[in-house]
Parts: sequence; structure tokens; C-alpha cells
Amino acid sequence: MANPNTKFLVVDDFSTMRRIVRNLLKELGYSNVEEAEDGAIALGMLKAGNFDFVVSDWNMPNMDGLTMLQKIRSDPAIAHLPVLMVTAEAKKENIIAAAQAGANGYVVKPFTAVTLDEKLNKIFEKLEKVGA
Amino acid sequence: MMNETIPVQLQDTGSGVLAAADQTQTDSNGDMIHRIGYLTRSLHDNLRQLGVDKMIERVAQDIPDARDRLNYVARMTEQAAEKVLNATDIATPLQDEIATRANSFEERWKVILSNPSLKSEYDQLAQETLEFLHKTNKNSKETKDLLMEIMMAQDFQDLTGQVIKKITNLAQDLEKQLVQLLLDFSPAAKKDEDGLLNGPQIDPTKTDVVGTQEQVDDLLESLGF
Repeated sequence: MANPNTKFLVVDDFSTMRRIVRNLLKELGYSNVEEAEDGAIALGMLKAGNFDFVVSDWNMPNMDGLTMLQKIRSDPAIAHLPVLMVTAEAKKENIIAAAQAGANGYVVKPFTAVTLDEKLNKIFEKLEKVGA
Repeated sequence: MMNETIPVQLQDTGSGVLAAADQTQTDSNGDMIHRIGYLTRSLHDNLRQLGVDKMIERVAQDIPDARDRLNYVARMTEQAAEKVLNATDIATPLQDEIATRANSFEERWKVILSNPSLKSEYDQLAQETLEFLHKTNKNSKETKDLLMEIMMAQDFQDLTGQVIKKITNLAQDLEKQLVQLLLDFSPAAKKDEDGLLNGPQIDPTKTDVVGTQEQVDDLLESLGF
């Protein structure tokens, strides 16, 4: 369904979580994955490289995931990028804030491989509908 | 004794609101500062008597130790998580290779066995090999699923790490406040830092300064004189 060459950026301050997400994406057939350890680094990479998809944590030093998401949406060059939040922040107001900022999906940690797969596919389906 | 006086004072302020409004602002401010001064002095004395200042000092010293221990836990769990992830990263392609090769052998044997001109004993051994290969293939896939599960289980490191970070910050704040409390309530120790030749105090409301003879006496008394 989705293109296996889709270029992912995984943003998380914990290297363990970055590796887990990277391995899961590989298992799902996406091996074109790069990593960033906070929002500020990620934003720089997104502006420089031609990424197709962002999977991001919320609570990170320097720049958190929500701020990064807002900055992505306000930059016309990268505003179209789909962003999936994968975070331990589980309050209603967090989810509402992420939705208002323009997140495409929201996964609460700890999560399963099946959940990640479902959310990714949902986003790809929606994007296809919009594109068609 | 404190418990008896405070409610009375509160009652007084409650019923005397209108009367208090007639008083000048400076009067009530002076009264309040006087009361706070009184409360601070009694708190100071009581803390000393209970040995609480020593306890606070000890707690303030213990907190950096607790912080180091939490950092140690965070470091060790991260190392463990990294080791497991390294192992699953290496084991997964090995399992993939076993599964792929077993599958290929299985298919090739099936083709050869479909030729009826071969002997039955040979058939028997081939059939057993085929079963073995089939099982290898199946077990490899199951092992790989387990490897994935082991990998996913390492997400605890991110979650516990976040909690530990929060507690560490909390301990750090508490430590700062306790140290400040110690400084505020140890004028003698503070004086050492500033030197002993400071001259007349121009601001008697400063917390590290004695403003009245009463405070001088209290301080001396608290030091055992």
C-alpha cells in the first residue's frame, strides 16, 4: 500500500526508544529511517532533507515535540509532512493540544507493534484519499 | 501555646475588619512584620530545640546521594536495554537466514520427491529431512516473534527514565530550598561567608540580619548562652 521507500524521521531523546521505533518500521517494511534526539535537531534535518514522515516523542529537551509540530505546520516548505506523535503524555489536554497543532496521529507509550502499524496505515490511507 | 494564641488572633482580625480599616497602612504593616518576626523567632527556636536544623542539614546532604543513586539506576537500565537491543539486532537476521534456507531446501526436496523413479528408502530419509526443514522454518519464525517481543519490552527504559528524571529534578529543587532554609536560619554560618566587618546594618528586615536587641538575645540563647 504505502511506498517502502518512504523516508522516516524518528525523534526521541531516548536512544532505546529510537531504536525500537526504527526496528518496528523496518519490520513493517520501511528501512529508510533517520533519527534525531530533540525537536530542534529534527527541525533542522527536516528543512535540509527530503523526508516523507515524522514519528515524534513529546517530552524532549531543547525543543519538545509539540513546539516542533507547530513549527513544521508554520513553515510552508515542510507544512505538508505527516506527523505521528508517540508519547507517554496521556492527558486529554495533551491529545487535544496535539490535534489542534495539526498532528496526524497520536500513540501513547507503552505501545505495541500492531498499534504503530494501524496508525501508520490510517495516516497513509487518509493521505491517499486527499491526494486522489 | 501557639495553638491557643493563633485562633484568637484570627478572630480578632475577623471581627475587627472595619476597625482595622481606620488604622493607617503603616501601622498594620508594622504590626504584621512584628508578628512575622515573632513567628519566625519561635519557629527558629523550636527548630533548634527539636534538632530539626541538624535534620534538615542531613536531608540536604542525603539528597545529592539519592540523586546519584537514581542516575545510576537510569544508567544501568539504559545499558541493559542497549545490550538486549544489540542482541536482538544480531539474532534477527540470523533467524531470517535459517528460515529462508530451510524454506528453500524444503521446496527443492519436494521437487525431487515428485519424481517417481527414486527408491523408497531414499524417499523415507528425504521425507524426514523435509519435515525437519519445515519445523526449522516454523521455529525460526516463532523465535523471531519472540525477539520482537524482547525488543518491545525494552520500552520500559524510556518510561522509567522519564519518571526518574522527574524525581531527580524534584530532589534537586528540594535540596536547593533546604539549603536556602539552612542559610536563612543559620545567621552565624552566613556571617562567616560575608566576613565579620560589615558595619552597621542599613536594612534590618534582611533575614540574615538581627534587627533588635531581642533578636540578638534570642540568637545568643539559641546558641546556648
